[in-house]
Amino acid sequence: MKMSLRELKVCLLGDTGVGKSSIVCRFVEDSFDPNINPTIGASFMTKTVQYQNELHKFLIWDTAGQERFRALAPMYYRGSAAAIIVYDITKEESFLTLKNWVKELHQHGPSNIVVAIAGDKCDVSDAREVLEKDAKDYADSIHAIFVETSAKNAININEIFTEISQKIPLLERSETGVRGLKLRREQSDLTRERTCC
Amino acid sequence: MKRLDDEPTKSRNRTSLSDKLTNGDSVTQRSPVDLLQGLRLCQEAWNPGSPWDRQGAQAALWGRPPGSFLVVSDSSSQNKLLCVSVNDQGKKVQDFPIIHTGSAQRLNTSHLAFSDLLQLVIFYTLSRDVLPLCLSIPSWVWGLTKGPEHLVSQLGPKAWLCPSSDLLPDTMSPGTPDTQDTVMCTIQLTAANGALCFINPLYLQEHGDDWLTHSSVNPNLLNRPFHSKRDRRLSAARAWSGAGLKKRTESVEDSSASLDSSAGSLVQNPVSPVTPTGVILRRASSSGTSDPQKRESSDSISSPIPQSPHRVSWVEDKLWMNPPAPSSLLHPPCLEFDSLSISSIEEEPDPEPSVSPFQVLNSPRLPLADKVKNRLSAVGQALGGLMNPQKRLSKRVQEMSERKGGSFAEALRGFVEQTLKMRPVCGVTSTEMLQEVRSSLTALREMLYDSVEIQSIVDSLGDVPDFELDVMLEQALHKVALKPLYSHLYEWMKMARQNDGSLQQLQANQHTLKDRSLEELEGTAGAGVPDAAMLEKIQQRWATMHQQYSPQNKVDMLLKVCKNIYHSMTVNAKPGVVFGADDFLPCLTWVLLRSDVVTLQIDTDYMMELLDPSQLQGEGGYYLTSLYASLFYISSFRSRLVTRQLSAEAQESLSQWRRRRTLHCNQSRRSKNRRTIRRHRSSERVDEDSEEVNASASKEREGHWMHVGDVTETLQSLTEISGEEKEEEQNGKSEDS
Repeated sequence: MKMSLRELKVCLLGDTGVGKSSIVCRFVEDSFDPNINPTIGASFMTKTVQYQNELHKFLIWDTAGQERFRALAPMYYRGSAAAIIVYDITKEESFLTLKNWVKELHQHGPSNIVVAIAGDKCDVSDAREVLEKDAKDYADSIHAIFVETSAKNAININEIFTEISQKIPLLERSETGVRGLKLRREQSDLTRERTCC
Repeated sequence: MKRLDDEPTKSRNRTSLSDKLTNGDSVTQRSPVDLLQGLRLCQEAWNPGSPWDRQGAQAALWGRPPGSFLVVSDSSSQNKLLCVSVNDQGKKVQDFPIIHTGSAQRLNTSHLAFSDLLQLVIFYTLSRDVLPLCLSIPSWVWGLTKGPEHLVSQLGPKAWLCPSSDLLPDTMSPGTPDTQDTVMCTIQLTAANGALCFINPLYLQEHGDDWLTHSSVNPNLLNRPFHSKRDRRLSAARAWSGAGLKKRTESVEDSSASLDSSAGSLVQNPVSPVTPTGVILRRASSSGTSDPQKRESSDSISSPIPQSPHRVSWVEDKLWMNPPAPSSLLHPPCLEFDSLSISSIEEEPDPEPSVSPFQVLNSPRLPLADKVKNRLSAVGQALGGLMNPQKRLSKRVQEMSERKGGSFAEALRGFVEQTLKMRPVCGVTSTEMLQEVRSSLTALREMLYDSVEIQSIVDSLGDVPDFELDVMLEQALHKVALKPLYSHLYEWMKMARQNDGSLQQLQANQHTLKDRSLEELEGTAGAGVPDAAMLEKIQQRWATMHQQYSPQNKVDMLLKVCKNIYHSMTVNAKPGVVFGADDFLPCLTWVLLRSDVVTLQIDTDYMMELLDPSQLQGEGGYYLTSLYASLFYISSFRSRLVTRQLSAEAQESLSQWRRRRTLHCNQSRRSKNRRTIRRHRSSERVDEDSEEVNASASKEREGHWMHVGDVTETLQSLTEISGEEKEEEQNGKSEDS
């Protein structure tokens, strides 16, 4: 069995407090993977999932959402294959911030970056300030992935990443884009978890 | 670190020796592969999730056969806890916190680190180390296979703890000797037959190699060393009676633990080699690291002594249990002590096989070595992977760098000499200068890839992924290329940053901000900051980081600091709170404001620019970026115009980042053309380099940014990587394509 492993850098953007790291934590902790190496903290996490005949190792870079740190974001999102921009459906302001992020990514971000929009906290829809349809329309207009999530209730968390996997261009033969390597027999993986899974 | 009380341990071992010989191996008679598989499949059962906590585990384990265990999360510390049923009078169940150090996990009282929980657990079924007894695993675990029919994922702790007739606790293994380092252990599957292979020279010395002459497909063969390890430990305990091992210094412990990162390889730990009295523990290899000539003559790659895939400190260090050798055979103490200094820690104190204590001590079993070797080569590629490839590469690169007239040695010498001659020029940023160094490093690495000698080692490594090879070769290259240069580079960078005023700015802003609380830095209220003791520890780590010449080792140290910071953040936090970058960056900034930011800025530049670009996407890259970002935040801080004022600097930073040729996910990995591209120009290139640097410096003085780009393009087009960047620069597009 040969399967190529791709490392995909994913950057998390969005206002502070909208649930960026909760989404990632939920995604990473959700399934059991004995080969995963725990990371130092939730600001950087990884998870490997299988997509068709590839393994996608998501290297998830969280960014600080405070206004005063916003200027630092380019250092984080450069080189990203995808960006997940998170807003809080109960805070309209966070949706406006999201639009600014989209603009900035278009201007300064990697040219073929996959953009995913996640409206978090859909479990508290009583306090909703951003209509799902508005957000969906906006996402469609910029060809972005859109989901409403609940990190709390694990709703649509895996879906974001699955859709990112789908939108990432297939591995080219020329090995560009990501690091690839072949996996050998499964047994060997046990000794190679740091690189393969 | 916990210091074990040797005496009681030993006496217990002696009394139980006979038991062990009769029934001690029941656990190991089954295939360890099945055990790995089984444990993995039923991890939910022994490592249950959230409702299970310490209390639950304690209750469940109460009265279970000794050795029964569960791993649960400790709600108070976020660590995992290994809860073990023991037969002690006082406590029936004991807890052992499992802590994460970098990417490794270990019991907090032990020095043996494992890359995952599974390996840790399996190890402690075989050896108790710091536990009062070995862990027991229910017999049905061996029978678990994949497939839904077993529904293993639904097995819970109850099933796991169900009394089983074959729980045979093993209380025979003696405790660990008092070594102070964390040692990365790996359990390896051999490629030949998929069996776990634990072989160590001590076993062979103690028990001969008769077992090797049995059929290699007999699974018991490879199991034998499991419990042989216990035998050997027993002998170790005997030999050690009356002789305590000296503790090593704290600083060494800290810094040596940083080396556990390279995959598959392990931490070297120079155990206190010289004690005034008693047993003298020595590494056979010490001379090799101190005296390359001697090593060269006495050393060969194909070693007669198999390197144990399962490394524990006393195996790794080849502590031999025979009576101490006559002092004339020992290396001078000064050499031994050298291994304790921080700088020599990355010297990879290889246990060079051919200086084997077998020979030194004139062991009567010496002739078995060839037999072993032949046998092991029959096992196939497996052992090729067991000999530390990093050491082989490093050694070879070192040799090549010393070879008179060799093309690599010449190119390297040229690079070092030219770099030493360079002087900081006003207007040239340290970033640009370091980028020249980096592209030279890349070119030198390509030369190495092209060389037949390195190629043969690479080929013999078989299936090592390309990026791992890159890392290993980088590490080897740093030793010969950066070690002679790094203090010069520091000077250089410092001067360049002083010339452009950025260091002064940084210090001034540090002064302005230094009394700010975490809240004033927009940190979250729930996150803690390091206390005085932790801050002191962090300062020591920064200092150690500065002493490393290898950017990779610097990053390892940075990760330790970040881990300390995370620990401080979470220590008093409510359970379940997740701290992401929103919390971490202010906390890091808080720490930096209380640190030597000037030195850190230099170190950050050094890492940022000289680290192999492929290393920048992972965890090291993330925290390095955070360090860079945080320093940038401090140096560009404006008290009144808090945010918008930043954008001008942000743009400048952005363009710097665009220029940065690091972090290229598009970088082609060692493709075929890349292998050939460097072949002809190696020796002349270095000279070109320095000329170009000077040229670029003068043009930069004129203030023409793009001119520098053009010049560096000429320079960098020598490599594919740079070629790609050239296009980016010209297109003026975003930094990533």
